[in-house]
Amino acid sequence: MNKLLSLFTIIILGVLGYLTYISAEGILNAGWHEPLPLARDSQQFRLVLINQDSDTPFWDNVAKGAVKRAEEEGIMLEVLSNYGKNDDVFLSNLDLAIHSRVDGIIVQGLDQEAFKELTKVRAAFHSIPVITIAEDVPVEESLRRTYVGSDHFEAGRLIAEQLISDMGTAGKVAVLYDTNPHYYQKLRKEGVESVLRHYPDINLLSVETEPTKDKVMMATQNLLNNHPDALGFIAINADVTSGMVQEISRRKQVGPLFVYSFDDSTDIESLFNEAKLDAVVSQDPEKMGDWGVELLIEWLEGETVPLDFGGYFTPVTIIESKDKP
Amino acid sequence: MNTIQKKIFFLTSMIVVIMMGIWIALSIYIRQTHDQYNDILQRYLVLNEVNEDSQNLITDLNNYLYNPTPVNKMQIEERETKLQGMENQIWDLGHVENEFELVNYINLKDSLMATVERSVSLANQDDSEAAYQEFNEATRIANYIAQTKTSLVETELETYDVVYRGIIARSSEVNRFGIWLILLLTVVLIVFSYMLSRSITRPVIQLTEAANHLSMGHFDKAVEVDSNDELYFLAKTFNRMRLNINNLIQEIQKQAELEKELQENKLLLQESQFRSLQSQINPHFLFNTLNTISKKAYLEGSQETSDILVNVADLLRYNLKSVDRSVSLREEVTILDGYMEIQKARYTDRLVFIKDIDDSLLDVRIPALTLQPIIENAIIHSVETREEGGTVIFRIDKEEEFIKVEIEDDGPGMSEDMMSSLLEGAYVSKQGHSTGIGFVNVVKRVQLFYERHDLIQIESAPGSGTLIKLLIPKERGDSEHV
Repeated sequence: MNKLLSLFTIIILGVLGYLTYISAEGILNAGWHEPLPLARDSQQFRLVLINQDSDTPFWDNVAKGAVKRAEEEGIMLEVLSNYGKNDDVFLSNLDLAIHSRVDGIIVQGLDQEAFKELTKVRAAFHSIPVITIAEDVPVEESLRRTYVGSDHFEAGRLIAEQLISDMGTAGKVAVLYDTNPHYYQKLRKEGVESVLRHYPDINLLSVETEPTKDKVMMATQNLLNNHPDALGFIAINADVTSGMVQEISRRKQVGPLFVYSFDDSTDIESLFNEAKLDAVVSQDPEKMGDWGVELLIEWLEGETVPLDFGGYFTPVTIIESKDKP
Repeated sequence: MNTIQKKIFFLTSMIVVIMMGIWIALSIYIRQTHDQYNDILQRYLVLNEVNEDSQNLITDLNNYLYNPTPVNKMQIEERETKLQGMENQIWDLGHVENEFELVNYINLKDSLMATVERSVSLANQDDSEAAYQEFNEATRIANYIAQTKTSLVETELETYDVVYRGIIARSSEVNRFGIWLILLLTVVLIVFSYMLSRSITRPVIQLTEAANHLSMGHFDKAVEVDSNDELYFLAKTFNRMRLNINNLIQEIQKQAELEKELQENKLLLQESQFRSLQSQINPHFLFNTLNTISKKAYLEGSQETSDILVNVADLLRYNLKSVDRSVSLREEVTILDGYMEIQKARYTDRLVFIKDIDDSLLDVRIPALTLQPIIENAIIHSVETREEGGTVIFRIDKEEEFIKVEIEDDGPGMSEDMMSSLLEGAYVSKQGHSTGIGFVNVVKRVQLFYERHDLIQIESAPGSGTLIKLLIPKERGDSEHV
């Protein structure tokens, strides 16, 4: 009995001792790692990428390419972006970046006075280099160092050529573009027009619309009312594509029509997969981000001064839908 | 040696040390956590302070633009100095996670100050429109500062998320540890207390049992205690007490036995005294009768019979006196003469008695009835047992400081064993003596009287007679001893 009791006590002591030990070890090991302190003297370049529409795969890829390159180069890159189109937020981001005196700015071009004022006056005042990306603003208006992205004129041409090869050289072709078109939209439109101009049987219908969905649908409706025989449709602004396609498919079969767009909008991929688009212009957003960062660093380090004002073009290709009849 | 005090002291000091240890560890832990919280809080405070100062700078600028007094200008300058001074503090907050925003924050602050400067200088140049434009710019920058502060705080929260969770996890770990530790300590202390109390109470119980045993009178069971403290000493002392009591009791028992024996002896003595009184009646009567018979024999003309009767009467009287007295050697010799007369009348020619006495030596004192038993022995052994009779020689001579009394016979003699047993008083004679006193008695009385053991010697061999030699010290003979 006595032996049993002492054995029991020893077991209890052992178990409690073990548990206490485990617990004590847990306390000692419950440390954490504070983030590494900052090296104040050896500051790296601080670059920002500022863009809108951050919800699109296109801009995701731009940011991805840029961040990847920044990591490789060992510099800091901050992506200041906002969802959808919100020029105020976008511009204040830009303003913030300028006042924060970053070393370089890669920005989605915005063909607006406020933007130009910021880049031309403010950024230049603080001698901060600005590179436009994906969408350009003319250098005379923005004093940007260079442009990295697709050659939108070329993209427009590609679309038009594809249209000709699909549809033939005769028919009504509607081109939808913004009421206040951005510089890149103008370029695309010019690209399209530069091709179609050579085909006298093609009737080019220019349709202006606000880039909101109901406005787009209304514009499309008007277009279809006025020109029910329109065969070709080109959405210069990729954002209006879905509204346009939706309205068209409400009225008639999309299949026999020829619908084209660009890939820098969220809806494009699904529309393309549903075979509602004949072809889209595919850009290389990742390359844009990557290249943009690279060029900016080159400029900052004085390797390539000045940068080519004409811009650095990333490849554009046209992808045809295989399913669409 | 472990004393109870030491044991208790050890236990309590152990508890105290453990408690102190826990207290110290807890204090350290609390202090650490406190410091951590302080650091974290400090970060937010610094961030917020810069933001607040930026807003206040705008207010100050606004005041100045409305009311360009030196006081307001001073206020702007003070504010700017303060903001500038905070730059280092902000740098200290930096880490790789928030580097970009932090540098932005600092640069925004610089931009703000530069803009404010510009605004002030434009105001001084009375270009109020440009000054207000710069003011608007400054306001925007201040908003960016607020914005950046928010995002910095967010980054802090994200970055330090791990730290906060670490702190929370650790505190819950500490709670768990505390519970286990308390349980462990409780069990340990219970065990120790139990052992301590047992080390005190077990010996006490054993002592109690031993005391019970003692109280029931079992003094022979040893008190055993498994302990090494004061109780061990108590038990040892108790055991000694038990032994002492045991010894005492045995002694008392022995004494009681002795007492009993003594009582019995007393009774026997009384009886023997009674007997001797009884027997004393006879000698007196016998003595008177003998005297009467002697006178009658004398009157009737039987001279010899009368003399014998007188000798018998004298011997009887001498014998009746207590044996515990000393007499002179002369008296002994006289009574011996009377005795020999009687024996001669009995044995006639069979007894030849030769006496060779130096008269000048007869004044020493010796115990009464010393010689008569020896002579009687000689007669018994050499004359009475032999048909042809025997010779007894009685000599008193001096030898150095002793008076030598020799009684010799020509009887059958005796063996060495016999002689030694006679001298050691181990021999008990079966033969009756006329005076009731045997040789052994004589030996003992002489030894007691002179306090020496070598005064009586026997020289004998089987078949060649016996010589008893009695040495009487002269000095001792001079002093009276009763």
